[in-house]
Amino acid sequence: MVKQGVLPDEFSKPFWDAANDERLVIQNCKACDRLQHPPLPACRRCGSEDSLEWKEMSGRGTIYNHGVVYDCPVRLLQDDQPFNVAVIMLDDDPGIQMFSHLPGAPVDDVPAGASVEVIFEASANGQKVPEWRVTG
Amino acid sequence: MTILISFDIDGTLEVGDPPGVLTLDMMRIAQDKGFWIGSCSDRTLSGQRDLWELHEIRVDFVATKPMLPEIMSRFKADGYYHIGDREDLDKRYALAAGFEFLWPHEAVLMPWFLPEGSPETG
Amino acid sequence: MTTQHAPDSMYRSTEGLGIWEHRGKVAAVGIGHSPTARRWDETPETSMGAWSILALRRAMEDAGVSPDQVDGLVVVPETTTGANWPEGKALPMDVVNAFNTTSDPLDGVAQLSTEWLLKNMPELTNVKFTMYAPVCMSAALAVAAQAVGDGLTHTCLVLKSWHNLEGRYYQGGANAEDAIPGTPAIRNLWGAPASYGTALQFAEYCRKYGKTHDMMAPFMENSRRNGLMFPEGYWAQHRPERLTEEDYLVARWIAKPASLYDNDIPIMVSGAYLFTTAERAQSMKRKPVYILNHATSTTQPRSLTPTLDEVEEDTARTARKIYEGAGITAKDLSFENMYDGFSLFHQFHLEGLGYRGIKFGEALDFYQTDISIEGPNPVSPSGGNIGSGRSRFWMHTDCIQQLQGRAGDRQVTGVKPEIAVSGGPMPTGGSFTVWSATPD
Repeated sequence: MVKQGVLPDEFSKPFWDAANDERLVIQNCKACDRLQHPPLPACRRCGSEDSLEWKEMSGRGTIYNHGVVYDCPVRLLQDDQPFNVAVIMLDDDPGIQMFSHLPGAPVDDVPAGASVEVIFEASANGQKVPEWRVTG
Repeated sequence: MTILISFDIDGTLEVGDPPGVLTLDMMRIAQDKGFWIGSCSDRTLSGQRDLWELHEIRVDFVATKPMLPEIMSRFKADGYYHIGDREDLDKRYALAAGFEFLWPHEAVLMPWFLPEGSPETG
Repeated sequence: MTTQHAPDSMYRSTEGLGIWEHRGKVAAVGIGHSPTARRWDETPETSMGAWSILALRRAMEDAGVSPDQVDGLVVVPETTTGANWPEGKALPMDVVNAFNTTSDPLDGVAQLSTEWLLKNMPELTNVKFTMYAPVCMSAALAVAAQAVGDGLTHTCLVLKSWHNLEGRYYQGGANAEDAIPGTPAIRNLWGAPASYGTALQFAEYCRKYGKTHDMMAPFMENSRRNGLMFPEGYWAQHRPERLTEEDYLVARWIAKPASLYDNDIPIMVSGAYLFTTAERAQSMKRKPVYILNHATSTTQPRSLTPTLDEVEEDTARTARKIYEGAGITAKDLSFENMYDGFSLFHQFHLEGLGYRGIKFGEALDFYQTDISIEGPNPVSPSGGNIGSGRSRFWMHTDCIQQLQGRAGDRQVTGVKPEIAVSGGPMPTGGSFTVWSATPD
């Protein structure tokens, strides 16, 4: 399934540039040593704007749980229904989540707690997007 | 030749919200001609049954959209049609279940809904 | 008069604040509702603005208050159910000509300002305090209660209205585009519908506690049953259809495990209340219902969507705030009337409150017992959004009516209606009001 294209803006450009290099980066506050996702203009804990950086992740995670989408509001995805949308918790910090369609996983047959690894797939305009594949 | 027609309600039938162009008389005519008829809607099954009881139409089935495959297996017909007004909720479910799909403005032109003896019916 | 959004200081959002300083000194007296409709038919008399005026006038009439006695107005300016007036589409001229306009042509149609209301309600000659509250009636009630308690207004109207337009909601705008900006894309590329987050929490709830979606059926049946006894509601007015166990179990999925009926139906409706001081309430037409406390949760999840652990921590925290400020415990609740749109998070509110002593993971078993208005443990006697469509205020109206003894066919009979709490919307973000038949 092909997702909507992505038009990186100034704020999100480092995340999407890294994806094009097949690297997963997450915003990190150096002062708090704390990741946050989705990214924000300032650290949610200390409020600092200057101590934010983009930190590369291991690319490994665990499935928290999943839902199956049958009535999707996004036009480009409607022909692919039903499809999984899982929440992945990063091994680097289980408090950080990412969504995934779990390409290759059967619909509604997604084991909570299974290990996953990041992959990168092209969206409608060629921008690469982080996705996740079950490894065990 | 037996044909099964599944009618969406809202936006399709005159009793829908919003009302559609297909009348209840059209349903009655098709039934009189020996067609299987029923409704397939986002309305509850009990609500659909109540609706048909109110209008004194003895439909052969009521269904929700994901039940169309079950309707096909329950009724042996030569043709299966679903009439509805939504691309995503009618056309997609109908085609996925192996039904032919008609928009309401297409369906009203079908000879199924003309009374017996009408010139167009031959 | 420029209307500001309520400052954070008006909400009671932290623990340890003690008993609310205005406990029992503020009262709800009047209720006003507009009719309901599935969607706007683009006539002036059924516009969201017209129905807002109607609801406000009915609230004053219900309270026996003349318009010149009103000195305060708290309004939720956002009115969308998810539908927006199409860009470039002209408004019907008869709608434009029917009202006094503001600088925003969509005022009174797809959003609502206090300026528009005051321009179109010339009878409100003495309004000196106006304030906005965000999104929901639940927040507006907290603001109005605090404002009356603080003496900023003594007779205050509170209003929330909804507009709903043609088409399927949330399917336009960015969702219809081939590409979207990078920042929202981080969250939105996966196409999850609005109920997805709740569905995910519910899936985790079922996994953790060994429950199933089918176990929701008695709650759903009960809610629609109560809603059909709510003459102000959409289903009672337009489609008096019950929701049986079979109906619920065969419904199509939206975001499994959230089905069509776990999602509330978007409608057009306006609702208004009249708040005043406990002292002034004595001379008004209706029996006062006293406010013992209001509490707010502003919790943000750590990441994209709240986990079950985050939800449970926050509902428990919210309950502690509710009880602390009101000086009550769970045992004092006559019935339970928290928000339900989406139905799959109602049990989080219920368990957080500890209603009838239930603990985390027990609410779906509780649903299998007698939760009717006739029994000893009424759950959602209003029927909520499931029972009457999306307003997010049925539970407030119901609490007031139950405690006034005028809930009609919905009146609880298995318990004496003395103290109740209502609020929402989300288990991890909302405002809540504690109501009482007596001021102490």
